[in-house]
Amino acid sequence: MKKIDISKQKFESPRERDLLRHLISTSWKYKLWIVLLLIINSIGMYAYYRQVRFGLVVTAMRDYTSWGIYISNFVFFVAISLVGSLFSSILKLNKNEWSRPLIRISEIIAVSAIICAAVIIIVDMGRPDRFFNVIKYLRIQSPIIWDVIIISTYLVISILLLYISILPDIALCRDRLTEIPNWKKKLYRIAAINWSNHPEQIQKLKKVSKILAISVLPVAFAIHTVTSWLFATTWRPGWDSTNLGPYFVSGAFMAGAAVIIFAMYIVRKELKLKSYVTDMHFEKMGRLLVLLSLVYLYFNINEYLGPAFKMVGVEGEHISELFVGNYAAMYWFVQLGGLVIPIFLLMFRPFRKPLPLFIISLFVIMGAWFKRFLIVIPSLQHPYLPIQGVDESYLHYYPTWEEWAITTSSFTSLLLMITILIKLFPLIPVQKDVIDPETDD
Amino acid sequence: MKSKTYQSLSFLKIFFIIVLLFSSYSMVYGQEEDVMEDAVVSISFSEEDDTKIIKAMATDQEGLPIEELDLYFYVQRTFSLLPIGDTFNTTNENGIVEVEFPHDLPADEEGNVEIIVKIFESDLYNDLTLEVVKNWGIATPMTEAGEKRSLWAAAANAPITLVLLISGMILVIWYINCYIIYILYKISKIKPLINQV
Repeated sequence: MKKIDISKQKFESPRERDLLRHLISTSWKYKLWIVLLLIINSIGMYAYYRQVRFGLVVTAMRDYTSWGIYISNFVFFVAISLVGSLFSSILKLNKNEWSRPLIRISEIIAVSAIICAAVIIIVDMGRPDRFFNVIKYLRIQSPIIWDVIIISTYLVISILLLYISILPDIALCRDRLTEIPNWKKKLYRIAAINWSNHPEQIQKLKKVSKILAISVLPVAFAIHTVTSWLFATTWRPGWDSTNLGPYFVSGAFMAGAAVIIFAMYIVRKELKLKSYVTDMHFEKMGRLLVLLSLVYLYFNINEYLGPAFKMVGVEGEHISELFVGNYAAMYWFVQLGGLVIPIFLLMFRPFRKPLPLFIISLFVIMGAWFKRFLIVIPSLQHPYLPIQGVDESYLHYYPTWEEWAITTSSFTSLLLMITILIKLFPLIPVQKDVIDPETDD
Repeated sequence: MKSKTYQSLSFLKIFFIIVLLFSSYSMVYGQEEDVMEDAVVSISFSEEDDTKIIKAMATDQEGLPIEELDLYFYVQRTFSLLPIGDTFNTTNENGIVEVEFPHDLPADEEGNVEIIVKIFESDLYNDLTLEVVKNWGIATPMTEAGEKRSLWAAAANAPITLVLLISGMILVIWYINCYIIYILYKISKIKPLINQV
């Protein structure tokens, strides 16, 4: 077996060295991180084994709260997956040049998040083999089927978007990187599909890039709108709303932007990419986050003002529960800590510097996760048609350790996928002019 | 010597315990064997004026009527069993119990309903289930609503507009995906320029 000597690796430019070096060397910190993620994943796997062995009774889900943190987590993952379309489509079509280095990280997050979302749905089913019943007894009238179809479609489009953005650089890795293991050489050779920067190849790649940038947009809007319809077509307080589609989509873009800021900060620090992911990128992302948060705030006001003004029946009970009841602390943390205060702070330039923006985005992400919890769980505890003589355990929902372990491991799986993809492919375009839109026809 | 006597006494003690255990086991076993038996239940139906009566008669293996036996009466519905009669329907000294059949139960297109009579968790008799089909329900023809294309219909009867709309959308987007994969295939077939090799 050939001995790999990293010091022998030659690069043709400092840019190549900066952007490719993390592909050839593996630090102890990286290995430790992977081990930590795998340990948490194994605990999640054990919890899942228990769930499959003993059934969903190991969770706290009962007849009232039949969707627990699995589904709120699913909605969160679908939400952050929308960030791929934000960068690969909206910002790209609007010729926001500054967003170019962030396309790949956004697509990596989108692909990983949508895979986790699909897996968490199967976890929520209790019996994984029953997933095939969804296909076998398919009812096109069911929003659940629409969700299955749209998630698989969006996954394929996200993989294609990631792949076409990365293709020229995979070929560069194939040609340039000599001091890497054979399996990696083979991977680059196969994945590069004979790419040689041939003018005809470049022209074709530009074409598919444009087609995808346009076609992903309706699919991205559909994926989260359909997710919102899972709720809106179910007759429960808080879900019985025509506002739910845009409310979900705007919340998803906000959460996605916060996740990108979070990832940018870590990646820039760990991969030493300060000259490529600059303060300017943070400044722009900060502004984008304010804009998206303001849109989401508008939909939030719409969502709560109407029912809170009328306070009718179970809708009123639901609103009271959120505003002053059992969920008040979480609700006000989400609305103030995850939305209003970030908007206020981000209006000032010093808070759009990397570190403050990173911390603010962390609060926005936490707010976004708990927001999904608040959308799913309190609504289920106030049915329009309550069951007579209901069991005490139906009235509350405190997730069990199995649910927390599985949910945590879904996050570590997401991080694991992102970490591995970052380690395999260049994160920022090395050959930045290959599919530059300025040269588009 | 003393310890030897002690040892043989211990063995004797264990032997007696084992014998006692076996004998008590066979006693219990024998008791079950003696007491639990199969009852025989026969069902007959009668109609007087507008009242429909289900008459069940319970006898033991020797043909003697069983008194004070609880029988449970049900009608099979789509998803579960509908209990009919009183909470407890106990046989009289002739082993007979009568239950009135409700006059307003919907049935299939021919008016057939499945009546179920059970002995359940009796102290003396084994569990038993009898199923009889009787033409006593209200014939319910399959209405058009069941066949009609609607959001709540079975998969085969989905609204045609919905089927077309969703299939159309799926076809368009997957056509684009397949087209892109085809272009990528074409890209892979382009040979490098000579000066690039």
